[in-house]
Amino acid sequence: MEIVMSILAGTLFAAGVYLLLQKQLLKIVLGTALLSHGAHLFILTMGKLNRGAPPILEKGITEYTDPLPQALILTSIVISFGVTSFLLVLAYRTYQSNKTDMMDQLRGTDDE
Amino acid sequence: MLHFYILLPFLAALLIGLSAKKVNRIHTGWLVLPVPAVLFIIFCSKLPVLAKGKIVQSTADWIPSLDIQLSFYLDGLSMLFSLLITGIGSLVVLYSIFYLSRKEQLVHFYVYLLLFMGSMLGVVLSDNVFVLYTFWEFTSISSFLLIGFWFYRERSTYGAQKSMLVTVFGGLSMLGALILLSITAETNSIRMMIANRSDILESDLFIPILLLLLLGAFTKSAQFPFHSWLPDAMEAPTPVSAYLHSATMVKAGLYLVARFSLIFSGTDEFFIIVSGIGLITLCIGSFLASRQTDLKGILAYSTISQLGMIMAMLGFGTGVAILAAIFHIFNHATFKGSLFMIAGIVDHETGTRDIRRLGGLYTFMPISATLAFIGAFSMAGVPLPVFNGFLSKEMFFDSSLKLEQSGGLAGTFAEWIPIFAVLGSIFTFVYSMYLVFGTFLGKQKTDQLEKKPHEAPIGMLLSPIILIIFVIAVGLLPNLINEPLLAPAVAAVTGDLPHTHLAFWHGLNTPFYMSLIVIGVGALLAYTLKRWQPVYNKIPGKFSSDHWYQTMVNGLLKSSKSITEFYMTGSLRLYLSIILVFLVVSTSIFMYYTDGFTISFDDLAPVTWPEVLVGFVMAVAAIATIWMNQRIAAIIVIGVVGYGLSLLFVFFRAPDLALTQLIVETITVALFLLCFAHLPKLKKSDKSKSEKLIDLTIAVSTGALLTIVAIASHSSKSFKSISKYFVDNSYKLGGGDNIVNVILVDFRGLDTLFEIAVLGLAALGIFAMIKYRDKGDMNQ
Amino acid sequence: MMSNLVFLPIFIPLFVGALLVFFNKKHQLTMKISYLTVILNLGVSIYLSYYVFKNNPLILETGGWKAPYGIILVADKLSVIMILSVNVIALAAVIFASSSVTSKMVQHYFYPLFFLLIAGVSGAFLTGDLFNLFVFFEVLLMASYGLIIIGGSKQQFRESVKYILLNLFSSILFVTTVAFLYSVTGTVNMAQLGERVAEVEQQGVLTGIAILLFVVFATKGALFPLYFWLPKSYIVPSPVVSALFGALLTKVGVYSMLRVYTLIFSHKLELTHSFFIWVASITMLIGVIGALSTSNVKLIIAYNIMPAIGFMLLGIGTFSAESLAGTIYYLVHDMAIKAALFFLAGLLVWHAGTSNLNKMGGYIKTSPLLGWMFFIAALVLAGIPPFSGFIGKYLLLRGAFDEEHYFAAGIGLLSSLLILFSVIRIFIGAFWGEVKEEPKEKVRRSGLAASGFLIAISIVLGVGAEWFYPYIQSAADSLIDPQIYIDFVLKE
Repeated sequence: MEIVMSILAGTLFAAGVYLLLQKQLLKIVLGTALLSHGAHLFILTMGKLNRGAPPILEKGITEYTDPLPQALILTSIVISFGVTSFLLVLAYRTYQSNKTDMMDQLRGTDDE
Repeated sequence: MLHFYILLPFLAALLIGLSAKKVNRIHTGWLVLPVPAVLFIIFCSKLPVLAKGKIVQSTADWIPSLDIQLSFYLDGLSMLFSLLITGIGSLVVLYSIFYLSRKEQLVHFYVYLLLFMGSMLGVVLSDNVFVLYTFWEFTSISSFLLIGFWFYRERSTYGAQKSMLVTVFGGLSMLGALILLSITAETNSIRMMIANRSDILESDLFIPILLLLLLGAFTKSAQFPFHSWLPDAMEAPTPVSAYLHSATMVKAGLYLVARFSLIFSGTDEFFIIVSGIGLITLCIGSFLASRQTDLKGILAYSTISQLGMIMAMLGFGTGVAILAAIFHIFNHATFKGSLFMIAGIVDHETGTRDIRRLGGLYTFMPISATLAFIGAFSMAGVPLPVFNGFLSKEMFFDSSLKLEQSGGLAGTFAEWIPIFAVLGSIFTFVYSMYLVFGTFLGKQKTDQLEKKPHEAPIGMLLSPIILIIFVIAVGLLPNLINEPLLAPAVAAVTGDLPHTHLAFWHGLNTPFYMSLIVIGVGALLAYTLKRWQPVYNKIPGKFSSDHWYQTMVNGLLKSSKSITEFYMTGSLRLYLSIILVFLVVSTSIFMYYTDGFTISFDDLAPVTWPEVLVGFVMAVAAIATIWMNQRIAAIIVIGVVGYGLSLLFVFFRAPDLALTQLIVETITVALFLLCFAHLPKLKKSDKSKSEKLIDLTIAVSTGALLTIVAIASHSSKSFKSISKYFVDNSYKLGGGDNIVNVILVDFRGLDTLFEIAVLGLAALGIFAMIKYRDKGDMNQ
Repeated sequence: MMSNLVFLPIFIPLFVGALLVFFNKKHQLTMKISYLTVILNLGVSIYLSYYVFKNNPLILETGGWKAPYGIILVADKLSVIMILSVNVIALAAVIFASSSVTSKMVQHYFYPLFFLLIAGVSGAFLTGDLFNLFVFFEVLLMASYGLIIIGGSKQQFRESVKYILLNLFSSILFVTTVAFLYSVTGTVNMAQLGERVAEVEQQGVLTGIAILLFVVFATKGALFPLYFWLPKSYIVPSPVVSALFGALLTKVGVYSMLRVYTLIFSHKLELTHSFFIWVASITMLIGVIGALSTSNVKLIIAYNIMPAIGFMLLGIGTFSAESLAGTIYYLVHDMAIKAALFFLAGLLVWHAGTSNLNKMGGYIKTSPLLGWMFFIAALVLAGIPPFSGFIGKYLLLRGAFDEEHYFAAGIGLLSSLLILFSVIRIFIGAFWGEVKEEPKEKVRRSGLAASGFLIAISIVLGVGAEWFYPYIQSAADSLIDPQIYIDFVLKE
C-alpha cells in the first residue's frame, strides 16, 4: 500500500509541478495546493500505514500507527494554509496593480 | 623599531587628514616633508650596520594563530628600496609643494601619498608573505587614488581603473603563489622559505608557483604584455608619476623577483621567463617610446623599457647581472625622477606636454634644459664618466655576454641575448634624444603655447638638481655607493657579497664596442627620426596592449550582459524549470551512483480497495486540473483532491489529520472561490506543443523521482522510530490520550508555537496588503 | 537554569514583535521600543556567546523533553557566533530604519515583521531538530513575504510572487525530504540523525536524500543554478529590507548546509562534497558575471550575494578545519558587509534619484562621506587585506589549495578580481566624474551611521582577526568532528 500511496503522492507532485510551470497565476496557485497535498501524503506514507490503531491511547491496545508523521503533517497543513491564503491575496493584488495575471507579462527589466 | 618607520607615514596621513584643513596658512606639503626626510636620515644611519653584514629586524604580533605576523627585516635589498622610497619621496614632496597649487585638494593628495609611502615601505621590509601582500595591494589602491586625483577627468578615471584592474589581477595571482609557497615550504616567512628552497624546487607545483608569482611582479612592473596601464597612469599629477610610476611602485615587481631570486634563480624556467619577458619589454618599450607625443608618454614607455632591462638582468641571475640590476635600479631612479620633474616643469611653464608644440625651449629655461640633457644622456648611456646610466648600461652589456658560462638553457640562448640588449639600447638612445632635442632645441613654437615660457622657480628646480647631482656624482665616483649600498643589496639577492670595483674604463672590450654601435646607429636613427616615424602608423592598432585591455574589459562587460540576460529573463517558468531539472538530474545521478534505489516488499501494508479507489479518483482529479478552464470546475477538482486526502487520512487512521484537513480544505476552497471572483477567467494554455512537452517531461520526472526516493526510503528503514517513546509516555508523562495532540502541544510544542506565529504573520501580511488597496503605489 | 538563556534570542524578538502589532500607529514609541529590544537582544547574545565559549555549549530541552524526543535548542559555538552576528545586523538595521522607515511602513507592520524575521532566523540557527528547522524557515520566510511587499508597488508585487512561489516550492520539498529521512532513520533530531547516518555509513538512499536537501538549502542559499529568482526580488523592497534579506536570508541556507553536511551527511565526501565544489565554483563565477552585467546599482550589489555564497560553499566542499573556519569567517564578514552595501546603495539611490549608474557622477563632491564609505566597503567586499573579507578568503583559498582543488581556488581568485571590478565601477561611475544630475536629497545621517557601524565592524574583524579567529577556528574544529556535537546532545 505504501508503494501505491507513494505513486499517488508522486502523481500529485507531478500535476502540481505542471501547473506551477503554467503562465496564469491562478493555475500556479492551484499547483501549490496540489504540491502540499502530495507532500503531506508522502509524510504519512513514510510512517507505516495501517499498522495498529489510530494513535489515541486505549486500554489493551499496544499497536498504534506512527503518531509522529501525523503531528508533523498537522503542523505542515496549518503552515501551508497560511502561505496559500497569503499567496491568494497576493495573486489578487498583483493582478490588480500590474493589470495582468500572466507570468510572462510579469518579467520586469533591469532599469526601473 | 622598523614598525614605527612603517607606521609613521600612516600616522602622518591620519593626522593630516584630520587636522590639515585647519592649517591654512602654509602649503600642506611642508607638513608632510619631514616624514620622508626623517625616515631617510634614519635609514641612512643604519647603513653602517648593514655594511657589517648584519640585518635589522623586528617582529610584532598581528594574527599569530594564522602565522601572519608583523615581522620586518632590513637587509641590503630592503635598504636600497627604503632609501629610494624615502629619498625620492622627500624630493617629490618638495617638488610638489611648488608644483601643486593650493587650490587643489592637497589634503587628499598628501594622504594618498603618505598611504603609498607607508605601504611601499611595508612591501620592502616585510618578512611575512601575507603582510607583504597586504602592503602590496595597498600600493595598488593608493596608486589608484593618486591616478584618479583629478577625478572629474575621464582620462584619469580610465587610467585609475585600468591600473587597479591590472595590478590587482597580478596581486591576486601573487596571493595564489604565496599561499602555495606557504603550503609547500610550511612557513610564511620569506627567509624561512629561502631556507626551505629545496621543498619548493622539488614540488610538483613549482611551475604554477613561479608563474603566478611572476604574474604579480610583471603586472606591477609594467612588463609586456601588461605594460599598458603605465602610460595611462600618467594622468596622475607629475610628482606622482615621478615617484610611484617611475622610481618606486613600479619597481615593487623587481623587488619581488629579486627577493625570491634565492629560491628561483638558477632554474631554467626562471631564466627563460624573466629574462625573456624583460628583453621583450626592453625592446618594445624603447621602440614605442619614440612614437609618443606626450612628454610623460615618452617617459612612461621609457620606464617600461628600463624596467624590462632590469628584469632581464634579474633573470640572468649571475653576480655581474645582479650588481648591474641593483645599480641600474638606483641610477634609473635618479635620472628618470629628474626627467619626470623636468617634464612637469615644462608642462607647468608652457601649459602643454605635447612635444609637437614644443621646441627651442633652451633659451627660455636653460637650467631645466641642462638638467634634462644630463638626465637623458645618462639614460641613453652616453659614454662619459659623468653619466651613471652609462656605467650600469655597460654592465648590462657585460652581463649579457657572460651567460655562456652558465649552463642549462641560459647557455643555449646566450648568443642571442646581446643582440636584444643592443637593439633595446639603440631605441633607448633614440627616444632619449627625441625627448630632449625635440623639447629644448630646434625651432621655437611659442605661438602654439598658452603661456609665455620662462624658467621655473628655484623651489621647483631644487629636486631635479639634487637628483642630477646624484647622476653626476655616481657617474664620477661609483664606488661611493658601491660598498655601503650596492654590495649589501647584491648580497641579499645572490647570497654572496660581491667585491667588484666599479670603473668607467675597462679598456676596448666587447661591451664598449656594443656601446659604440648603440650610439652610432642610435644617432643615425635619432637624426632621421622624422623620416621613419610614419612607420609607427603602419602598426595596426589591434596589436597594442591598450587595445587588448579594452577588448577584454568591453568583452567581459558585454559577454556578462549577454550571459546574464540569457538566463535572467524574469520568467518564473524558466527559473522553476532550471531548479527542477537540476533537482532531477543531480539527484538521479547520485541515486544511480550510490545504488540508492532499493525496493522491498517485506514490510508493507496490504493493498485495500477503498483506499486505492480514493487514490485513483484523486490522481484523476489532480491530472484533470491541468485541463480545467472553467473556474468552478477547477475548484471542484481541487476540492476532490483535498477532500480525498482527508478521506485517506481517515482510512489510514489519522483522525486528527482528517478533521484538520477537512476544515482547512473547506476554508481554502472558500478562499479560492473568493479570489476567483476577482481574478480573470482561466484561459486555455497558448503554449506550443514543444513547450507543453517540456513541461510534461519536467513534471513527470519530478514526480517520478520523488516517488522513487520515497519507495527507496521506505524500503530502507534501518532504525526504530523515536515514536515509540511518544506512545509509551504520552499518557504517563504528557497527560493525554491523544498521542498526536500530546506531541503537538507538549513534546513538540515549539513547532506549534511557531506554526501559530506563521499564521499570525500571514494574517498580518494579508491585512497590510488589503490596506494598500486604495492607496495605490507608495513606493519611494 | 542557564539553558533557558538559549531561548531568549528567539523569544525576545517574538514577544516584542507580537507586542508591536498593537502599536503600529505610534511611530516614535515603536522606534524606541525597537532600539531597546535590539540592544537588549544584542546584550543577551553577547552574554550567551561569552558563556558558551567560556564553559560549554548549552542545550534547552523545550517543554522539558530530552533529546531526541522533544525539540531541543542547541547553542553550540557555531550557533552563538551566528546569533551574535544576526543581532549586530539587527541593531544596524534599526539604526538605518530610524530615518528610512516611514510612518506608513510602520503602520504596515514593518517592526513586527522585522522582529519576527529575527526570531525566525535566530530559531533556525539554534534549533537542533530538522523539522523544527523547517518551521523556523517558514517563520522567517513568512516574515520576509510580509516585508518584501511593504510599500505595495507593482514591481514589489510582481517580484514577490516569484520569490514566494520558489520559496514555497523549496519548503514543500524540504518537508518531504525530512519525511524521507525520518523513514530511513526514524528520527528528526539532528544529533541522532548524525549518529544514525554515521552508523550505516550513509548507505543506500541517504546520499540521494542528502542531494534533495542540498537543493532545498541551495535554493534558499542562492547557489547556481537555483538563485535566478533572487537578484531582482531583493532590490524591490525598501533598502533596509534588502539589507536584511541580503545579510540574513541566504545565510540561513548556508548555515543549514554547514550544519547538515558536517553533522549528518559527511560520510560520502568524495561524492557530495566534490559536487559542492563544482557548484561553488560555477556560482562564484556566474554570480559575479551577473554583477558585471548591469548598471543598476542595487542589482550589482544583489548579484554580489552569489559569489560570496559560492566562497562559503567552497569551504564546506573542501571540508577541512581550515576551510570550514574560512566559511564561518566569511559568513560573519559577509553578513556585515552585505548589509552595509545594501544600505549604502540605498542611500546612493536616494541621493541620486535613480538607480542607473550611467546617470550618476561626481557625487564625491556632494556626499564625500558616502563615497568613501562605499570605497572602503568595496575593498572589504573584494577581500583586500587587512579587512574582514581577506581573512575568510585566505582560509578558504588555503584550504582549497591544500586539498588540491586548484581549479576552484583559481576561480575564487578570479572572482575576487571581478567582484572588485563590479563595485569599483560604482565608485568610479557614481562618485568620480562630472556631476551629471544634481542630487535629489541629502544623504540621511542615520543611514550613514548604520553603514559606518557595519564597516567599522568589518575593519575590526580583519585588523583584529586575532581577537576572533581562534573562536571561529574552535567552532570549525567542533564541526569537523561531529561526534562532539552528537555526544553532547545525546549524553545520558
